[in-house]
This record gives sequence, structure tokens and C-alpha cells, in this order.
Amino acid sequence: MQSELLSSPNLEQGVSLSQDALRRLRKNKMAIAGLFVLIFLIVIALLTPWIAPYSYDGQDLALGVTSPSQQHWLGTDALGRDQLTRVMYGSRVSLAVGFIATAVALLIGVLWGATAGFLGGRADAIMMRIVDVLYALPFTIFIILLTVIFGSSMLLLFLAIGAVEWLTMARIVRGQVLTIKRQEFVEAAVSMGFSPWQIISRHLIPNVLGPIIVYTTLTIPSVILLESFLSFLGLGIQPPQSSWGSLISAGVETMEEFPWLLIFPGLTLSITLFSLNFLGDGLRDALDPRSAKD
Amino acid sequence: MKFFIKILLPTLVILTTLSSCEGKRKTLVEIGNEKQILHVGNGDEISSVDPHTTSGMPEYHVILSLYEGLVSKNTKTLAIEPGVAESWDISEDGLVYTFHIRENARWSNGDKLVANDFVQSWLRGLMPALANEYASSMYVVKNGQNINEGKADPKDFGAVALDDQTLQITLNAPTPYFLQLLDHHSTYPVHIPTIKKFGKLDERGTKWTRPENFVGNGAFVLSEWTPNKYLSVKKSPTYWDAKSVRLNEVRYYPINKYTTEERMFRSGQLHATYYLPREKLAVYKNANNPVLRSYPNFATYFYRFNVTVKPLDDVRVRKALAYSIDRKRIVEFVTKFGQIPAYTLTPPDENGYVANAKMPYDVELAKKLLAEAGYPNGVGFPKLTVAFNANDEHQHIAEAVQQMWKDNLGIDIALASTEWKVYLDNEKQLNYQIDRASWIGDYLDPNTFLEMFVTNNGNNRTGFSDARYDELIAKAALESNQEKRFAYFQEAEQILADSAPILPFYTYIWNRLIATSVKGWDDNVQDYYPFKNMYLENQ
Amino acid sequence: MYIFILKRILQSIPVLLAVSLFTFIMVRSAPGGPFDQDRNVPPAVIKNLNAHYHLDDPLWKQYVDYIMNLLHGDFGPSFKFQSHNVNDLILAGFPPTLELAFYATLFALVVGLTAGITASLKPNSLQDYVPMSSAMLGICLPSFVLGPLLLLIFGSWLQWLPVAGWGQIPGDKILPSITLGASYAAYIARISRGGMLEVLSQDYIRTARAKGLSPIRIVFVHALRGGITPVISFLGPAIAGLLAGSFVVETIFQIPGLGRFYVQAAFNRDYTMIMGCTIFFAFVIIVFNLLSDIILVYLNPKLRQQVSRGH
Repeated sequence: MQSELLSSPNLEQGVSLSQDALRRLRKNKMAIAGLFVLIFLIVIALLTPWIAPYSYDGQDLALGVTSPSQQHWLGTDALGRDQLTRVMYGSRVSLAVGFIATAVALLIGVLWGATAGFLGGRADAIMMRIVDVLYALPFTIFIILLTVIFGSSMLLLFLAIGAVEWLTMARIVRGQVLTIKRQEFVEAAVSMGFSPWQIISRHLIPNVLGPIIVYTTLTIPSVILLESFLSFLGLGIQPPQSSWGSLISAGVETMEEFPWLLIFPGLTLSITLFSLNFLGDGLRDALDPRSAKD
Repeated sequence: MKFFIKILLPTLVILTTLSSCEGKRKTLVEIGNEKQILHVGNGDEISSVDPHTTSGMPEYHVILSLYEGLVSKNTKTLAIEPGVAESWDISEDGLVYTFHIRENARWSNGDKLVANDFVQSWLRGLMPALANEYASSMYVVKNGQNINEGKADPKDFGAVALDDQTLQITLNAPTPYFLQLLDHHSTYPVHIPTIKKFGKLDERGTKWTRPENFVGNGAFVLSEWTPNKYLSVKKSPTYWDAKSVRLNEVRYYPINKYTTEERMFRSGQLHATYYLPREKLAVYKNANNPVLRSYPNFATYFYRFNVTVKPLDDVRVRKALAYSIDRKRIVEFVTKFGQIPAYTLTPPDENGYVANAKMPYDVELAKKLLAEAGYPNGVGFPKLTVAFNANDEHQHIAEAVQQMWKDNLGIDIALASTEWKVYLDNEKQLNYQIDRASWIGDYLDPNTFLEMFVTNNGNNRTGFSDARYDELIAKAALESNQEKRFAYFQEAEQILADSAPILPFYTYIWNRLIATSVKGWDDNVQDYYPFKNMYLENQ
Repeated sequence: MYIFILKRILQSIPVLLAVSLFTFIMVRSAPGGPFDQDRNVPPAVIKNLNAHYHLDDPLWKQYVDYIMNLLHGDFGPSFKFQSHNVNDLILAGFPPTLELAFYATLFALVVGLTAGITASLKPNSLQDYVPMSSAMLGICLPSFVLGPLLLLIFGSWLQWLPVAGWGQIPGDKILPSITLGASYAAYIARISRGGMLEVLSQDYIRTARAKGLSPIRIVFVHALRGGITPVISFLGPAIAGLLAGSFVVETIFQIPGLGRFYVQAAFNRDYTMIMGCTIFFAFVIIVFNLLSDIILVYLNPKLRQQVSRGH
């Protein structure tokens, strides 16, 4: 036993943090499954303009609603449009909203939180006070007012949703930065004379990356859900474009008569959200240094 | 696992057993049938029950129960019948109306209702500071408009109480639809002493409309009002015809999600719905379910063209756009609500005026006109925008229109779903190119539709102006011979069809669900359903 | 401790003021006004309406007047509902919303904690995956889908529960509470599972197990405190989402709550109602955050020390 341990190759090579994390992630089957599903959906979404069976706004008024069939795998809606095509195009919109709005939130949140945490003192207090004020606004109304004032273009949707989600990101980042700031290796860096910018970029950000990545993967689903909520109110994506949210809210209205109009976009949304959540969980478990205990 | 099984499962079992025990519970509708309590859906929550400060349909349906005007209408033919006034005389020249008020007309607090009550109510409605949106309904009376604009003294008002039972009204010109106007809710009498108790006469939103303070003269009194929950009116013991009123109570539910309303109807929580979601129509129609009631409404769905912007200033372009829409297809395949395709602005009234003007569906002609205007096959035609307030149906119609114009004329248009207030704002400022509109007639006469497009009329909002059209409408206002009037209107209607500042689509249909236990609810084009004539059969 | 509470209350006043100013500016920037209608309204009438509601005063004056009235507890008249002022409407609408939020939270706590704790006891087993996947369902199904689904099954098909209303028919509070609470149950399940896992892996728990203490004792006496703490810190901010999310549930189930009023007000440009509701909601959120922090401090001795040191 002892000799085996001593001669184990792992002892010789050092294992970096990210390699360790990747290994743990690979062990988590649900997370990997989620990752593959996501990749599949993203690929389909990207290839949609070439592989979609019909055009997304091709109406066939006489046809109306039909149940799934040979020509229309997912059926057609009230204007005779092919549902499969609309779900595929919808995935482009929903995924785009999810990723881009989250990226906006990420950008603002990380910069804000890192700066606040790093500067500390007065600046930190003021910056976080502003976050508190914005937090106290029931964000649903905030978004409704925004879309009502500025109309509901795709761009605005990204910005509006991002503008709401960055708050929590900022708080998390700031918290992490505060914790790490006090740790020894930062003091060492400061005493070695690194500039604040170097410290932030080379030491702080890599170490807060963990929670950021995790939170990002968990923000995307809530952003997609938020867009579907706006569609329910009639403020989201405007037709003839479709997003899963608009397809679902339309489908809910006729749930009893034509359940497939709800089921398919609903399933797609749920699977995506499931995958993102499993992936996020897996990432969190993998990146958490404390689980290195086993 | 054990926790799961030990706690959650038993809870679920208990819950479901408890609920299924309730299976024999009586529904609201069944209880209502026994006790003569009617539960109806009433659309949006109402803003007030003051007839001088409200203008919406949901408010109207409540006001109809709480007040009564000089006249009322037959629920089947919409012919004028006596209301508070039991009879009336009209002078030869049609300028002076004399009404004889019933002896036994009373307010809900027991006060006698006299002719002067009407005069004082109307004067109150004309007070400028009150900002009554329907003050214009009294403009036909001498000095009505002047008083409302602060230019004349109330003493000079054309309505005078000769004595307690006699009301004399002098008009500016013979107004053939005056009697129709007198059943409009803005002309109902209000109880002046009560209003005075809670504030100034021309002060809006005082507490006099609260249930504990309210006084009205209708078949019902305001009994309970919790916003967003329900509004309840109870039978009035002092109403002059109380013995004919069989319902004890009516509850109005403000439900604006129509799928929820339909669900409530099906599970016995409502006797009647305010509306019906489109998708459910086919289900009830196909089953020939007697609860479904469908009848045309005195209202039109149309598009406005902003004639002040290029290329819509060219009448050929407008006609091309108008002649290339297949309304039958839209009504049959898009809206699927049983509406009637409309080719004129004014909806047909079987008992009165039916417009003859025609706006044909002629794709060849449309193409020719577009080419003449300089856009053969749509080449070079700018991308116009069709705006509408956010709503599924407007959405679908606009999408279908977009497709039709593309297929028939080769032009591309953009769609803009706008929020309600923004949409209204844009329309008023002429900040649009094509937008969706609708109009419900205020009274049963074509004038309420056609006067909209007189030059600079506040409801015109297209920039359309035609001298002959204005002349015809003005002439009709002064003409007392109904036939001659209608002839003027027909000509005006043809001008509209030829100039196409609007694109009519369909005449509205009202579809609602009414339980079979409700008796006395008749269908008519004005969606007029006073509850005083109804009762519930205990089935 | 009391100084801590006092400090927080004082700090919240500028926050409320900032909220009111921010909302005021946003709301007044929106195009379209409260009196715009489909039917044309004569300009004289609009003029009189604006005068009556002081909309023709300079904006800064309107804001100052509003704050002055607010200090007297007067939220002003509603622009849409003429016979009721904002105070009446908030007083009428808040209790149902609060009750709905309460039952939803109750449901979320019971179901969420049960699922999360059960899952944490045997990680990565079926006992873990089943409750957590069901919890995931709660997160991935938006309330405007879950609500109608539940209504379809329990309201229309089985006819076990009423379809709308709040407090009018026995049993009408069940479905709305479940619909609103479902996603929170899911979050609570995840958070409590995470918290429990963290605590359970601590050395002192291993010691207790080694010493032979029964699992139930370990869970309830030692681990639970650590597992519940993250749930409580989640609840404070979650109340904001609950109150706002109640709008969807209130619309579907016809509940006369404040959420429904609030969004109606936004669409109607009922300025005073929007302002009043926003400030009121902000106030409620601040109160609940404070309560949640107080409980946290009470539960955690370390924080208690910090607080009494005046942090």
C-alpha cells in the first residue's frame, strides 16, 4: 500500500485548480448531460436559418391550427405557421436574450462589485447604497415601466433585463473581493509593489471567477424566464418574431383545445433551464475548493 | 425517502380527501338562482359611478342599474320607451320637447324626483371645472355648449322645469336622434343634495359615490364596492316600477383576463361573461351550446391612413391598399369570431340605416392604381408601419394584412405593437402612418360615426378633409326628415369609400356566455342589457 | 442590538426618498398620460383635468407637494379610480397580497425544506435526485404556465377546487398559493440542501456520528440551524420577488391584491398609484429585509458580537 502511494504518478505532477475542477466536473453525469444538451441546442439555434423546414412567418390562413403531422412535426398555429420552425427561431431569440442580457449584467456587475470591494471605505459604501436603492424597487415594475417608456426592441430588452440582474452579481463579486482582499497573498502582492490594476486583474478576478461563473450559468435561466414573463404581459419580443416565452404565453391561452402548442415550446424551455441549472450546480460543486476534502 | 413518504404523501392524501368531500358543494350560480342573485363579468374595474365623469363601457353597465333617464329603450328593437318620463310632446318644428315626469318617480332615499332635478343635473354636467368628457351630449340643447365653455349663464340654459312634473327642452336645431341621446348615461339625473354634502358640485372624485353615501334613481342601489373584487347592487325599494324588478342583487366582477372568466363560467361562478376568448368560440359553436349568444354590435374595426404623409397623401395609393384586402378571409380564418366583413364605416342597423357605399375587394384594380401612383408591382414603395395597441387579435390581423399586401401588391410593411397610452398619444399627434382603430356608436344613428371625419373633428385623426363631406354632415344635422337625412349620409359614406382615409374591416360581433337560468336578456346591436327586466329561473 | 435596528431604520429613509424620486422621474418620462382615451377629449376638458390634479404645475413642485403629503400619510388621489384614493386602494389591496405571500411562503418552506433536507441526507442517491429534480421543475415552470395547468387539472377536469377568487369559496386559496410558492419551494430546496451539506460535512458532525448519536438528533439539533440560515437570508430579498410575482397569480386567479393594482396602474399611467405602490412595496421590502437580518443575527453568535460592537 505504502509503496503504491509513493510511486503514484499524481504525487509527482502538481494538479492546477482548473484541472482539478474539470476532473470533478466530468464525474458529475447530470452536469455533463446538461452541457451536451446545451451545446446541441446552441448548434441547432445557430444553424436554424439553413435547416428550418419552413420560414417563420409563412402564414397559411386556410390551414389554421393543426396537430403534429408528417408535414408539420410540431403542428401549426392559428395563422398556419409551422411550429417546429417557430420553436427553432424562438430558441435563437431566447438563447440570445439569455446570453447577451447575462453578459450585460456580468459586465456591469463585475466591474461595479470589484471596484467597490477593492476601493472599500466611502466609495464602497456609496456604491453599495445605490445597489440597495435599486434592489428595493420591485424589479418587475421597473422593467414594465422601461419597456413602456422606450418600447420593446430586442436591444432594449437585453439592456433592461441586464440592468436588473447586475445587482446581485455586484453584491456577490463585492463580497468575494472583500474576503479575498484580506487574504495573505493579496497583502503579499501589495507589498511587492504591484499596481492596483494588476492586482485586480491578476489576483482578484481569477479568484472570484468561480462564483461568477456559477452565478452566470444560473442567471441565464432566470433571464430567459424573465423574458417569458414580459411576453405574458405583451411587452416582450414582438411578432412575427417569436421567443419561447411568447410561444408559451400564446399556448397557455389555448391549453385545453390545442395542448401541443404549449407542450413543445414549454418542453424546450424546461429542458434548457434544466440543463443550465445542472451545469451550474456541477460547476459550483467542481469549483468549490472545500469539496476537495474528498 | 422516509421523510418524503412520512410527511409529504400523507399531506397530499389529506388535502385531496378534504377537497373531494366538497364535491357536493353548491356553486355560486346555483345559490344565485335560488336567491335571485346574478353574477356577471364586467371587464375592467370601473373608475367611478358618476355619470358625468366616466365614459367607459364597464362603467356604463353599472350606471344603467343605478340610474334611469327620461327615456329607456326596448331591449329587442331598441325603440324608445318611457323611462322617468311617462310621455312627451314634440313641437312642429322639432325644436321644443316637453316631457311629463311620473308622479311616483323617487330617489333611493325617498325624495320625490322632479323635473328640476334633470335641469340641475345637466347644468352640473356642463360645469367647466368638472371636465365632463361627455358634456357635448348636451350641446344640442340651447346654450349648452356656451355654458360648458363659460360663455353663458346657467339661467339661459334651454332646459327649464315648468313645474314639478313638466320639463321643457329647447334645442338649437331639430335633432332627430335627440330621444336616442336621452338614454345615454351622461344625461341621467344625479342627486344634487347628496353631491353637495360631500364637496363642491364640480369637484371630481368626492365621496358621494361610495356605497354608504350613494343616492340614485334606478332599479338598483349601490350596496358594496371593493375594487378588483366585485361591485354589488341591490334592488331599490323606492324605484317607481319596483314590483317588476325580480332580481334581488347583481354582482359585477371586474375580470379582464377572458380565459379566467370563461373558466369561472364553466365552474359555475358566473351567470354571464363579458366576453369570450376566441379559441373557445369554436368549441361552444360546434356543440351548439345554448349558453353561447352571438349578435352584431354597432361598432366597426378599421384602419386609419394618415393622409398627411407621403405616399398616403395620394388617394390612389390609399385605394390600392384598401382594395387589396380580402376581408372575408380575415374574418373567416384570422379573427374567427363570427364578425361581419365591413366595406363602409357605419355598421348596418336592420331597423334603420344600412350603408350602400361599396369599397370593393379588387386586386387587379388595386395593382393598377398602385402602378398609376408610380409604384408598379410595389417597386420603390416605402416601408410603412402599421401600429396597433398590444393585443393578440390586432397582432394577427396586422400579420395577415402584411401578408396580403405583400402577395397582392408586392410591398413590405413593418408592424409596431405599441402600449395603449403610447398608441393613443401617437394617433392624436398624427405620429403614425397606418394605425388600427375602432369606434362604438354612442347612439343609434349614423351621425355618431360619420361626423368623426368632418374636417378637424377631434376624432378624425387622419388629416382627411373634404368640403362636400362637411357640407353633407352639417345639412343632415339640420334635417328633420329621416329619409332625406339618410340620403345625405349615404352620399357622405360614398365619399369616404372613394377617398379611403380609412380601411373598414368588420362589424363587431359580441359573443358572450349566458347561463340558461338567466331569463329576459335580449340581444341587440347596442349591447343594451338592463337588469331590471331579468330574473333567474331556479333549475 | 437596538442601536443596530435604529441605524437601519434611519438609513432606510434616504433609500425610500431615492426610490420615490427615481420612480417619479421614470413614470413622468413615459409618453401618454392618464387621461388619454380612444375617444377624443375636448382640450378644455383636458385642461380642467390637469388643473384638478395639479399636472400643470412645474414637475419639481409636483414632486415636493407629493412628498409633503406623504409625510402626512396621504398618498394622494388615484387618477383612474375617482371614488377611491391611493390610501384606500393600498389598504384594500395589501391584505390579500400579504396573505397570498404568506401562504405561498408557508408552502415553499414546508415543501422546500422537506425536499432539501431529505436530499442532503443521502447525497447523489435517488433520495437526492428525485426531490431535487422535482424542485427543478418548480424553477423551470413559470407561474403563468403552472397556474393554468393546475387550474386545468384541479379546477376543470377534477372539479376539486374553485377556479378564481380569494376568500369567497372555501378552498380558493390553495391553488394560488401553490402556484406562487412553487418556484420558491424549489429555491429553498436547493439552498437548504446546500446549507445542510455544508454543515453535515463539518468535523463536529462527524464526531457526533462517531459518538453514535441518532441521525434525527443530529439533523434537528445540530445541523438544522446551519441549514436554515441560508434559507432565512434568502427569504428577506425573496419577499420582493414574491410581492411582485403575485401580479401574475392575482391576474390568473382573480385575486383583489396590490400586485394587480400596481401593474394596472402602470398601464393606466395612474401616477399617484404607481408612486404610492412603489414606495409602499419598497417600505415592505426594507422591513422584511430588516426582520430577516435580525433573525440571522439572533441565530448566529458571531454576527451578534459584531452587531453589539456597533458594526
